[in-house]
Amino acid sequence: MISSTIGIWNYWIVFCLMMIGLFLVIGRKNFLKKIVGLTIFQTSVFLLYITFGKIKGGTPPILNETIDSIYSNPLPHVLILTAIVVGVATTALGLSLVLRINTEYGSIEEDDISAQDLVDYHDDIETGKSVDLKFKQ
Amino acid sequence: MISELLINAFLVTIMLSIAIALIKTRTVIFTVILTSAYSLVAALMFITLDAVDVAFTEASVGAGISTILFLAAMAYLPKKEEESISSEFIPALSCIILGGILIWCSYDLPEIGQVTAPIHQHIAPEYIRGSKEDIGIPNIVTSVLASYRGYDTFGETIVVFTAGVAVLALLQKKDPTKKNKSQPKQKIRKNA
Repeated sequence: MISSTIGIWNYWIVFCLMMIGLFLVIGRKNFLKKIVGLTIFQTSVFLLYITFGKIKGGTPPILNETIDSIYSNPLPHVLILTAIVVGVATTALGLSLVLRINTEYGSIEEDDISAQDLVDYHDDIETGKSVDLKFKQ
Repeated sequence: MISELLINAFLVTIMLSIAIALIKTRTVIFTVILTSAYSLVAALMFITLDAVDVAFTEASVGAGISTILFLAAMAYLPKKEEESISSEFIPALSCIILGGILIWCSYDLPEIGQVTAPIHQHIAPEYIRGSKEDIGIPNIVTSVLASYRGYDTFGETIVVFTAGVAVLALLQKKDPTKKNKSQPKQKIRKNA
């Protein structure tokens, strides 16, 4: 019982971590926090993949002549190596988007930004400007 | 064998507590530091799970470069996170339901470390054999990354290049000869 619980304990916590990341992305209104949530989500997916590749009593997949050993699965390691670098590229792109939003609106809170957009929209209607132009410029 | 799994369970529980602290904190500097700590503990986990190359990359790229990016962005952003006016109940509920379904499904997953799991049957033995005979590199991860799945690495390079171009395009200074249309608008109160 205990060994089987330990055997899938990693999965449980990894799923909890994924959900915390997802909550930070969809529940919080601060854009920086959303990007942190994306990072948390990514890292927990990496952990899930690496957990699949583990073999009990295995060694890291580096060939060794002297001892006869069983190697852990190298394929998830390769996929995750690629994913880590892509994840940092995504983080950099997201952070630069947040910086750009901050220079345009002076805020990175979603509520603030949608309120400003709403005020602009009503101003445009009152001054008789065509609303479509606003999105074309 | 059980000690390995115990260490894993301990480390992953530390990660969970860091993630819960991330939900609680509202200060940006704490958020950045906790994210860095999270990546470092993840790197430790990767070592105990035999993924040394991944641990190396996670510690340098995930905990290092990401933190530098966050710190650099933090300098231009507000230091405090505001309490949101809308309720967080529905996002939290949907996350809890989805997590419950995932945990329920986890009973069908193979236990950690079993040699009979489907993932170890298909192509990995070919790679382990071929790494010595075909390619002659002792590190199997390197030979798979650079040779068997070289196209993946090529695609990764394209993704990183595209992201770099996009970041440059987003952050470039505006042309000063043009009329500056977009002054930062006045901050309005939340209940406006």
